[in-house]
Amino acid sequence: MTVSRREFLSRATVGMATLPVMVACQARVARERGDPFVVLDQKQGRTLEALGDTLLPGAAKAGVAHFVDQQLASPTPMLMLKYLDFPMAYADFYTRGLDALDAVSRDQHEKDFATLAVSDREDLVRAISGSTPPGWDGPPAPLFYFTTRSDAVDVVYGTEDGFATLAVPYRAHIQPPEKW
Amino acid sequence: MRKPIEAADVAIVGSGAAGSLMAARLAEAGKQVVVLEGGPERRRDDLISSQIWSRRLKWSDPAISTTGPDPQSVGFASGRGTGGAAVHHYACWFRLHPEDFEMRSRFGTGLDWPLSYEDLRPSYDRVQREVGLSGDAEREVWRPAGDPYPMPGLPTFTQGLLVRRGFEKLGLRTAPIPMAINSVEYDGRPACIYDGWCDAGCPTGALANPLEVYLPRALRAGAVIEHEASATRVLTADGGRRAIGVEWFDAEGKRHTTHASVVIVAAFAFETPRILLNSRSGGLANSSGTLGCYFMAHAAANVNGLFEEETENYMGVTGGQLVCQEDYAKDPSRGFIGSSTWLIANALKPNDLLGIANSRPEIFGEDLRIFLQKAAAHLATMTFVGEGLPVRENQLVLTGDKDVHGMPCARVSHAFAKDSDRCWAAGVEKGKAIMRAAGAYDVWSGGRAQMHSLGGAIMGRSPDESVTNGWGQTHDVPNLFVAGSSLFPTSGGVNPTFTLSALASRSSDYILASWSDLT
Repeated sequence: MTVSRREFLSRATVGMATLPVMVACQARVARERGDPFVVLDQKQGRTLEALGDTLLPGAAKAGVAHFVDQQLASPTPMLMLKYLDFPMAYADFYTRGLDALDAVSRDQHEKDFATLAVSDREDLVRAISGSTPPGWDGPPAPLFYFTTRSDAVDVVYGTEDGFATLAVPYRAHIQPPEKW
Repeated sequence: MRKPIEAADVAIVGSGAAGSLMAARLAEAGKQVVVLEGGPERRRDDLISSQIWSRRLKWSDPAISTTGPDPQSVGFASGRGTGGAAVHHYACWFRLHPEDFEMRSRFGTGLDWPLSYEDLRPSYDRVQREVGLSGDAEREVWRPAGDPYPMPGLPTFTQGLLVRRGFEKLGLRTAPIPMAINSVEYDGRPACIYDGWCDAGCPTGALANPLEVYLPRALRAGAVIEHEASATRVLTADGGRRAIGVEWFDAEGKRHTTHASVVIVAAFAFETPRILLNSRSGGLANSSGTLGCYFMAHAAANVNGLFEEETENYMGVTGGQLVCQEDYAKDPSRGFIGSSTWLIANALKPNDLLGIANSRPEIFGEDLRIFLQKAAAHLATMTFVGEGLPVRENQLVLTGDKDVHGMPCARVSHAFAKDSDRCWAAGVEKGKAIMRAAGAYDVWSGGRAQMHSLGGAIMGRSPDESVTNGWGQTHDVPNLFVAGSSLFPTSGGVNPTFTLSALASRSSDYILASWSDLT
């Protein structure tokens, strides 16, 4: 642990090259390939993509649903949810939250969330950001909003490419072996 | 695979800031030391520069639940793996002030420590030399007496210069934050390059985390770290009057025991009282009934401002560039008792809990995209750290649920005292005025956050009112010690790592001086 900086950087480079592939593929690629979800079902995945794009345009294309799904399938998930100390299994948090969003959407508009008009999606997201609406059977709606919004920001802006779109220098010491 | 060590002179639960320091000191004095670390082995090349990847370093355990009006933050502040939470800490290393040690006797609220600032000062000074702190003691006019910093202060970048204008306009002084981060090469470790990846763990050696300073020393002196070693109980003899070792479970769930002449529990704020409560009916070293009590947090908030100028908020370190402690003195005429500190101009990333996007959590959609484009270039921020007073009812208790090792789960409740509420509210309003005076055209604050976890196994003079004495030695079990922020009877208004390190240094000296009596 007491090596010179030059020696350390040399070792780190070697370490990066030999790190095991911890995630099968990047979420964006998984989405483009149409990879099946592991924890979410297809409908939940579609709902999460629609929610992600409502929260932050570009989140669906960046692979928010596959990102969340991959993390839920991982023994060491790297989701923002880890910081929120909410007493619910991570998979249940997402599946119940997405199902609740669809249920409220059907109750209000007779349509699943993913098929709503953009303005109706925005109205519903605005509603859940502040309070849990009637008929919502899942984690607290504002917490679900905060968490999925953070996921959307992670996939769009939390990577080196995302930093670049904001003109923020990434300046990594050690590059992530995969995006996530 | 190496067979676990079954007996040692000293068993230390936890390899974080306190445990690693004590492991180094005791091993270097010739003691055979075993450190039981609940998480995996971490090395420099695990410290990947990504806010997403950084989450692997944090500890999130369903065995700990939080409740109350102001729930403690477990997942963000804690750590799991070699070096514990200190691997991703921000390295703001402040001394407590003399009055922090005498809250009850001087102000009639809170608790007194069983030692004074002058008692602890030599340990602060020694640790400062060993770790290497950067700072400017002359400009830090509020700093208690102590040796000068061994390194000059970290530089101030654009964001810090902009916000400092507001402090200056209101007649408030600032100084570089005292940091366990190198401003110049120190003890073979390089200077910081100010890229703001502290929260992801600094792999360059510029930030003094346990992987860089004390654990290498401990290992060179022969200490052994058992990783994936989840401690569940301190084992005792003589009716709970003598510690004889630690029970722990490995990653496969196999039970082990490590026998030791001295046991030190340094397992972070939540696990330390949980392990002691689980070690004996009614709790080990709990004749006072205070084990698990007096949980504290700092009442924190970010005050943000958008500037016409570019702020270059990606430059610097996560903990901030400048400090202001003009409101540290506990002045009852303000309507509350409480100290506070401003950490000014924290380096920012777009994502994560403290990222730019979450400075405005109510914004979404195209508005969020536009905000991020603007804020990435023009946002400045500063963090308020307000004192959380000790309240006995803020308590960690065991529940009826069990974890994977059959150990009872724990629930910790927390609510700020009224004085802490007032201290926080006054601070945030003042912060907004400062940010406006600095020239920000849009100013807002985030909600109240609970920052740092302290208390739960506090030190005190009386065995009837505290768990340990001023050496961290439990009143009931002479060869059982507690280390870490669990010991704090009051929180002060500053980050705790320097103080818990100084306490660990002092405890190490005491253990070595008293070895024959302890064993």
